[in-house]
Formats: sequence, structure tokens, C-alpha cells
Amino acid sequence: MIITDPRQPDNPIVFVNDAFLRLSGYERQEVLGKNCRFLQGPKTDKATVDQLREAIAEKVDVSVDILNYRKDGSTFWNALYISPVSNDRGELLFFFASQLDVSDRKRSEHRITADKDRFEKAVKERTRELEAALEAQTTLLHEVDHRVKNNLQMISSLIVMQSRTIKDAATRKSLATMLERIEALSTVHRRLYQSKDVSRFDVADFARDLVTDLLTASGRSEIKSTLDLEPIVISAEKATPVALMVNELVTNALKHAFKEKPDGTTAGRIGIKMSQPDGHFNIEVSDDGVGMADASGDASFGMRLIKSLARQLHADIEWRDAGPGTKVVISMPNEPQQKGNVS
Amino acid sequence: MIEPLKVLIVEDEALLAMELESLVEEAGHSVVGWATSSAEAKAMVDSTEADIAFVDIHLTDGPTGVDVAEYIGEKKNSMVVFMTANPKRIPDHFAGAIGVIAKPYTMNGLICALRYLQEGVRRPPPKSVLPAGFTLSPAFETVWAPVP
Ligand SMILES: Nc1ncnc2c1ncn2[C@@H]1O[C@H](COP(=O)(O)OP(=O)(O)OP(=O)(O)O)[C@@H](O)[C@H]1O
Ligand SMILES: [Mg+2]
Repeated sequence: MIITDPRQPDNPIVFVNDAFLRLSGYERQEVLGKNCRFLQGPKTDKATVDQLREAIAEKVDVSVDILNYRKDGSTFWNALYISPVSNDRGELLFFFASQLDVSDRKRSEHRITADKDRFEKAVKERTRELEAALEAQTTLLHEVDHRVKNNLQMISSLIVMQSRTIKDAATRKSLATMLERIEALSTVHRRLYQSKDVSRFDVADFARDLVTDLLTASGRSEIKSTLDLEPIVISAEKATPVALMVNELVTNALKHAFKEKPDGTTAGRIGIKMSQPDGHFNIEVSDDGVGMADASGDASFGMRLIKSLARQLHADIEWRDAGPGTKVVISMPNEPQQKGNVS
Repeated sequence: MIEPLKVLIVEDEALLAMELESLVEEAGHSVVGWATSSAEAKAMVDSTEADIAFVDIHLTDGPTGVDVAEYIGEKKNSMVVFMTANPKRIPDHFAGAIGVIAKPYTMNGLICALRYLQEGVRRPPPKSVLPAGFTLSPAFETVWAPVP
């Protein structure tokens, strides 16, 4: 503890206790009559000193942590508290200063700050690494996606070119069916990865593309379509089986449902409805054609494909007589996914 | 009967170029050339007259398709349609192109696109609906498919 006298020039020390002498390493005679600034040294923070000077000038109390120097030149962190002491008439008599060595606390504070800096650096470093890895993965994904798309295009092209050279009508028809199936996959892949979220697939947009394409490709403008499509997002791995299944059902309706009617017309309507009542994804493919009463067993490839895909998707599938026509109802579990959260 | 189109194909995959050529010709149009690199494409642009150039983004000399489109745009002698499996590579301004046919396209999609382009080039704006897989550039969208 120190007491200084601000009424004397340069505010000298007029009293010190033994604890201060022990802390600072000075003898009493060495400090009495001196201004306290001899405790400061080169590493003492200037701003803290200014803070002290200001408080003393304004005669208010102040509390700071300041780096002070002992007589032997070593330093210690001093938790300094200075308060002015006035008489009854408000005249300033003394400053009272108490010191506490808080070097230990300062050391741990420093350690914590250093640790924090180190951690922050490590986190930044790791974030940079992860971002670079993500970047590399994204590039790779785009590269693979690009190749898959190009290869699908090449497969279609090969089939079309091959089929141009074939005279036999039945073989050509079968190649045309194969092309339809591959193009259904192509339509999936064109739509896949269009959003930034590569794991989500917008099935309604896909269905619109597919049905429009199949109808115009059939060249049968007398067949109309009714699309009732809720915006539904499914996971990407379901996209392909769903697409193939819808493709089989729509091509079946186009191929088999609209036989020539007694009045000579083949007009008709194909309907697709997609909805997602709680936790389910439902698809209905309907036509107002001849119905399936005459259909032959289920040994054919198309039917087997549809049923296997339904099993893969854990879907229930049912052919209903829609009188007139057929309605195929598919229902599968689908975890609820908001469209729009594809970021 | 609308006058058929003269088409330039800029595509590095021979198989796709071959098939595209057949489809273009089956639809009654003609192919005036096939280039696989940007240099070849630019030389062909200088020496031939085409109404439409189908330009892949990725050519034998790298992702130079946009470059080719810009070159064609400066010459102003034909219109560009990108044809790519990587539509994200196309700049926002589309380098002046009409739009993009995303690969993999379907045969029917391409036939529809050819009809749409024929109408658009000869008697703009096109009457047919925009085919699936065909995206117009912002500039052409305002002219060919204005929101009513
Ligand atoms: N919507 C429908 N309307 C009328 N008949 C249908 C309909 N869907 C299927 N069928 C009948 O069911 C049969 C089996 O269909 P399936 O898809 O298995 O074979 P496909 O279409 O003849 O040949 P592919 O194996 O190439 O698909 C068809 O031959 C047809 O008789
Ligand atoms: Mg079938």
C-alpha cells in the first residue's frame, strides 16, 4: 500500500507499507518522496498509464491491471486500485493506492488467449481443408455426371443408328421399346443434379417431361393427357425405379388402351396424378381405353419389370378396372420432404 | 412449307455428331459441317453459311464451346444453340446463344427442338411449345416466350 500527496509537486509517495517493499524489492528511503512512475518500464502499456493519469487528474478512483518493474528489473502484474481521499470541505488530501501481485492470473489469462488463438487457427485450417475436399468432390461429381449423361446419349444414339439398318418390323419395334426405356433413364439424369441438393429429385417436373415426350413421340395427337401433379421431392435413388415404372405404365396405355373404336376413332385420355398424403407418395396412371380384361397373364417383360420395381420401392401396386379403361394405383412410403428446401 | 435450316455441328463425340446429322437430315434440314475443336469450328464458321450452329461446351481442345459461340456471335452469320451435358458451364448471358438443349436429350425432344428452331429462325417467334430439355437464354426468352 502506498499513499501519495497530490498537494506537493509531482505527487510524491509519503507512505509505504512493508508489503509494498517486499513486492517491489525497494528500501523505504528509496521510494519515499518519489512519484510512482518509477514502477513503470518499457513493456508497461501506455494506454493503461494514460488511464491512471486521467483518473488522478480528475480525482476519481481507478482500478487497472498494469505491468510493473521491481528494483531488480523483473516484472509483475499489479492489480492496482487508486482512490482519492478528501477532507470534510472536499479538498483533496491524498491518493491511496493498493497493489496486488496477479502475475499468476495474468499468466493463465494469456495461456487461455493463446490456446483460443491456436484452436481458432486449427479450426480455420480444418475448415479450409474440408472446403477444399468438398470442392474436389463436387468437381468429381460434375465430371462423373457429365460422363453419365454423355454415355446415355451415346447409348440412345447407338440404338437409333442400329435400328435404321434393320428391315424387320418386329425387331425395330423392340429396339424402339428399348430406346423408350433408356430415354426414361435419360430424362431422369437430365433432371438429376439440377438443384444444388444432389440427393433430391423433383418427380413432378420429371413426369411432365416424360409424358409430354412420350405423347408427342407417339405422334398421336388425338390422345390427350391430364396431369395432376403435386410438387413432390423424392430421394435420388428412388428416381430411376419410379421413372422406369411410370414409363412402362404410360407406354402401355399408349400401346394397348386405345384400340380403334367402332366409330373408327382412337381418341382417348391418359391421366397421371401424383400426390403425397401423409408419409406416402401415390401415383395414379389411368386411361379411358379398352381395359385389361383381355390381357394375357403376367409373363410379359413389361409387367414383370413393373412388379419388380414396385418391390424395390416397397410400393403397393394395383390394377383397377376404371370402366372405361384402366387405373393403376401405386403407393409407397416417402419420408416427408418439403419442396423448396432444396438449396 | 417453311424453308429448311442449314446446320453446323460442333461436337467432339463422333457418335453423337453422326446421329445428330442423321436426325437433322431426316427432319429435312442439311448439315453444312462438323467440327470437333474450337479452331476447326472457327475455320468452318468463316468458310460456310449456316443458320444454326449446335455447339457442345466441351470440345477436343477443352471447354471452348462458349468461345466458339462468342466467335459466331461477332460474325453474326448464324445463331447458336448449346448442346451440352453440363449446362452449368454456360455463362448467364449465354454468349448470345438462343438457348441450350441439355444432354441427354430424347430423339423426340431433338425433333421437336428442330421444328421449334426452324419456326424461330424463319418465322419468329416460334409457334410450337418449348420442348422438354430445351432452355431459352434470358434474352431469347423475352422475345420468343414472353410471359403473357
Ligand atoms: N393400359 C392398358 N390397357 C389395356 N391393356 C393393357 C394396358 N396395360 C397393359 N395391358 C395389357 O397387358 C399386357 C402386358 O403388358 P406388358 O407391358 O407386360 O407387355 P407389352 O407392353 O405387350 O410388352 P413389353 O414387355 O415390351 O412392355 C399387354 O400386352 C396388354 O395386353
Ligand atoms: Mg409394356
